[in-house]
Amino acid sequence: MTTLADSLVALRGRSSMRERLRMRDTVVRRFDFLLLGSSLTLCALGAVLVWSATRGPAAISGTSPTEYLHRDALNIGIGVMLGAVTMVLGGPRLRRWTPGVYLLACALLLLVLGPLGATVNGSHSWIILGGGFQLQPAEVAKLALVLSLALVLGEWRATPEGPGTPEVLLVLGLAAVPIGLVLLQPDLGTVMVLVFTVIGVLMVSGASRRWVVALLLVGVLGSIGVVQLNVLKDYQLQRFTAFLHPGTDPRGFGYNATQAKITVASGGLLGVGLGHGAQTSGRFVPEQHTDFIFTVAGEELGFLGCSVILALLGLVLWRGLRIAARSPDPYGALVAAGVVCWFAFQTFQNIGMTVGLMPITGLPLPFLSYGGSAMFANLVAIGLLESVAIGTPRRVR
Amino acid sequence: MKYTSRYGLRLGVLRFLVFGLLLALFGQLWYLQIVGGETYRRAAVENHVRDVVVPADRGRILDDQGRALVANRTVLRITVDRIALSRQRDHGTAVLHRLAGLLRVSYADVQHRITLCGKGVPQPCWNGSPFQPIPVSEQADPMVALQINEQSESYPGVSAEVATSRSYPRPSQALAAHVLGYVAPISEGELSTLSTEQQDIRRNDVVGRAGLETSYNGLLSGRDGIRRVAVDAVGGVTATVSETPAVSGDDLLTSLDAKVQAVLERALGLGLARARSFGQPAKTAAGVVLDAQTGHVVAMASYPAYNPEIFIGGISAADYRAVTSRKAGVPLLNRAIQGEYAPGSSFKPISVSAVVKEGTANFHDTYSCPSGVTIGNRVFHNFESTSLGQINMHTVLVKSCDTVFYQFANHDWFADQRRIKNGQPPIEAVQNMARAYGLGQDTGIDLPSESGGLIEDRASKLARWKTYLRRNACAGAKRRPASDPIHQLDVENCTDGWRFRDADQANENIGQGTVLVTPLQLAAAYASLVNGGTVYSPRIGAVVRAPNGRIVRRIASPVRGHVPISARLRADIVSALYDVPRAGTAAGAFGGFPLDTVHVGGKTGTAQSGLDTKYDTSWFASFAGLPGKPAKYVAVVTIPQAGQGARAAAPAVRAIWEGIFGVGQAPAAKPSQTSGRRP
Repeated sequence: MTTLADSLVALRGRSSMRERLRMRDTVVRRFDFLLLGSSLTLCALGAVLVWSATRGPAAISGTSPTEYLHRDALNIGIGVMLGAVTMVLGGPRLRRWTPGVYLLACALLLLVLGPLGATVNGSHSWIILGGGFQLQPAEVAKLALVLSLALVLGEWRATPEGPGTPEVLLVLGLAAVPIGLVLLQPDLGTVMVLVFTVIGVLMVSGASRRWVVALLLVGVLGSIGVVQLNVLKDYQLQRFTAFLHPGTDPRGFGYNATQAKITVASGGLLGVGLGHGAQTSGRFVPEQHTDFIFTVAGEELGFLGCSVILALLGLVLWRGLRIAARSPDPYGALVAAGVVCWFAFQTFQNIGMTVGLMPITGLPLPFLSYGGSAMFANLVAIGLLESVAIGTPRRVR
Repeated sequence: MKYTSRYGLRLGVLRFLVFGLLLALFGQLWYLQIVGGETYRRAAVENHVRDVVVPADRGRILDDQGRALVANRTVLRITVDRIALSRQRDHGTAVLHRLAGLLRVSYADVQHRITLCGKGVPQPCWNGSPFQPIPVSEQADPMVALQINEQSESYPGVSAEVATSRSYPRPSQALAAHVLGYVAPISEGELSTLSTEQQDIRRNDVVGRAGLETSYNGLLSGRDGIRRVAVDAVGGVTATVSETPAVSGDDLLTSLDAKVQAVLERALGLGLARARSFGQPAKTAAGVVLDAQTGHVVAMASYPAYNPEIFIGGISAADYRAVTSRKAGVPLLNRAIQGEYAPGSSFKPISVSAVVKEGTANFHDTYSCPSGVTIGNRVFHNFESTSLGQINMHTVLVKSCDTVFYQFANHDWFADQRRIKNGQPPIEAVQNMARAYGLGQDTGIDLPSESGGLIEDRASKLARWKTYLRRNACAGAKRRPASDPIHQLDVENCTDGWRFRDADQANENIGQGTVLVTPLQLAAAYASLVNGGTVYSPRIGAVVRAPNGRIVRRIASPVRGHVPISARLRADIVSALYDVPRAGTAAGAFGGFPLDTVHVGGKTGTAQSGLDTKYDTSWFASFAGLPGKPAKYVAVVTIPQAGQGARAAAPAVRAIWEGIFGVGQAPAAKPSQTSGRRP
């Protein structure tokens, strides 16, 4: 016979068990499932959108309707494995390898400018690997820069009061090499992502407000200045002019901007339904399965679908910021902050150009756009975030 | 853990920035998809839906036996897109040179065809829309078309496509170019009168530009269909959204008879050859054959003619010059309805009708036919100044005595002048009778651009003088030296040109001077003599038939009026005219013709054609039929600058009757009219 007291004891005992269970700190429990879940959902959504954009009978180069879907799925698979490897290797080894990654990225960027590089859409930004594989060194450069910044500001020159002028100058010098090389391709979109990532990481690391404001000013005015000073090649200038006056040249560079806007807007609240987009099946938007993948979502899934995608991207960014805030060491925090800056700006720039907020530059939308290099880099970045997350002891309120 | 608070603050700023950016995207999406969605949806639809016009087959034009005079055929059309050319670095010069070489025409010719018509642009030019591909050839060789399509990179802006165009099968060698007319692309001017939607649909239409193609354009053209298709960014069709099928145009069955038409065309050539054999210049001719009882046109021809095929796919510069050349006699003119000529003695049945009806003369009384009559201060002579003594009206018509009519003119003119003096209106009997016969006014035939002619009277001369005679004469009087013979005339006309003088009436009575009629007007007038006095507005169209064979409409010749003379008088006139080929002015031309088996009546006319030529206009207006029945057909042939009616026009008409009734070697063009036996 159990008594009331017994029961109470048993109850208390069980509750303390639960308490202990809740307190238990394991790698699995440190792992951020929400981050993985939202990014993989985005990848899956991306694959569907890529399929919709490429399934038409007049598919690019006469491939089968599901060719791009298969390749995108393969990219996601490889990307997930690369991300897992990155996560498992984790902090110490990556720190050791960071200088190597940095040098590799710079070497690849140099290589792409040489005879090995291929020009796509006016940018000399691809290395043809043969067998249908291409590598975009700019994606490697994003990873390398994030890791290098974290290493310099979070470890080597980490100071309690934040980076001083020498550290800032050192970082700027380090960043200048890959940025300069990307500018030579020229790939303005990636340059802007790298610049704003550097500024974001410097800000989070505690650089003085004067530096941050000054660099932000330089970044924003620089983008405008580059146009004004005619440093850009013709095609980039036209893209910018088309951004400012899209109606002037409906079949030229303004064409992309106009068609992208029409396509997104014609979706309305609920969209016309997956696979039913006339703008999409008619291929009115160039590069729709890569840089302009968001227009497919806009037309076929409507405002509701777009909001879900924005929310998922917001979720990824939120988890990234959370991981940064909880990181026990500055290195992890800066890695996470760097990835967040990169994703945030790239997302804003990519979607912004399809809805007429930003000029047209060639940048993929993280997780959703078709493209191996970008997909790998994005999922490796998720691996980095997760490695920071599992290096963080659980804190219980 | 010192860094954490610092980082926390900075991360807060970053979080604020990141979600600020996301919020901006969200806001812009809301603005685009929810607020502006409708506008962009419309833009998207405009983007990917195109209306393709499915041209309707144009109806055919058939003769009374169902033989096609105008049909359709499939052709290979080569078109040039001006917009595409203008985008090329040299504005397409190289491409056009290559194309001209391929088509074996000159570069200038291709260039002309695609030049937009406008002020000071010589024909041929492009009359249609600058946005539609312009045809440069419709009779392209299949090999040429293949070459253009296969080497499209060498011919950017040029395309070859299958299209339908008009064809002219020419049954029995009948051409009938003037009657049938031709089609040409719709002009920008015609388009501008349509609604915007119709403009887009009809931009590639062809419309009738002459002849029956114009008069019956609405029935022949049918209704174009519209296929609404979804297209992709490069204009490739991905699906058909909706389709309104094209409705073929109706066929027009005419009263023309291809065999008679061919006979008429040959007869004009024969008349011209005759005239030239007498040393006359004779460069033009016109002829018409009417069914006297129904008022329908059996054949109509004008010489010189042209080949309507030259208009297919746009006329070339050289061809256009040729068909509008004054030196060549402006082949585009349909002289049967557009040529205005003084009818000469062929007008006399009308004069006789007038003077007998008015009581100035009696058909069975005799009148003197002296060699000349003095009118005003001038003596008017008979042809070759012959004198026939006292003759009755029958003989007056058969022998065509002028002086009898001069005397009637004098009588009538003085009577009218007296009336005017007494404050009464003049009667002007001959002029009124001419109008009652339908002369001097449009017949209203179902062909465009008919000329009206002129029957001068006191009022019309005054009006003419006021509008331009006076101005020209007064200016001429000042300009020309007094020694010039025309100077005196100008001085007179400057002050007195409005007066309708006795000499004017004399000329009028014998169809000279200011009387101007078209061959068709005279034919319709003669038809009234043998059909009981009905003046018809002649028709060429007989039946409109839908593509499914249903009769849409039967076309009868409307009655314009009845000639107000007694049946007795009409019979007297007709009987006199039946004697003209037997014993009168046309006896020579009809020598050997079996007049007992085919009854032929008619009247010759030899008209002075004004100051500018010494050569006369040769007329023969005739009717014919089987014995014992009213005449079935009327034929009129006019050959300007060809001399006497008896020597050029009458032989031509004889050839027509021979052809129709199967006289001599010719098989009958109208077998039903031969009463079963060959004469």
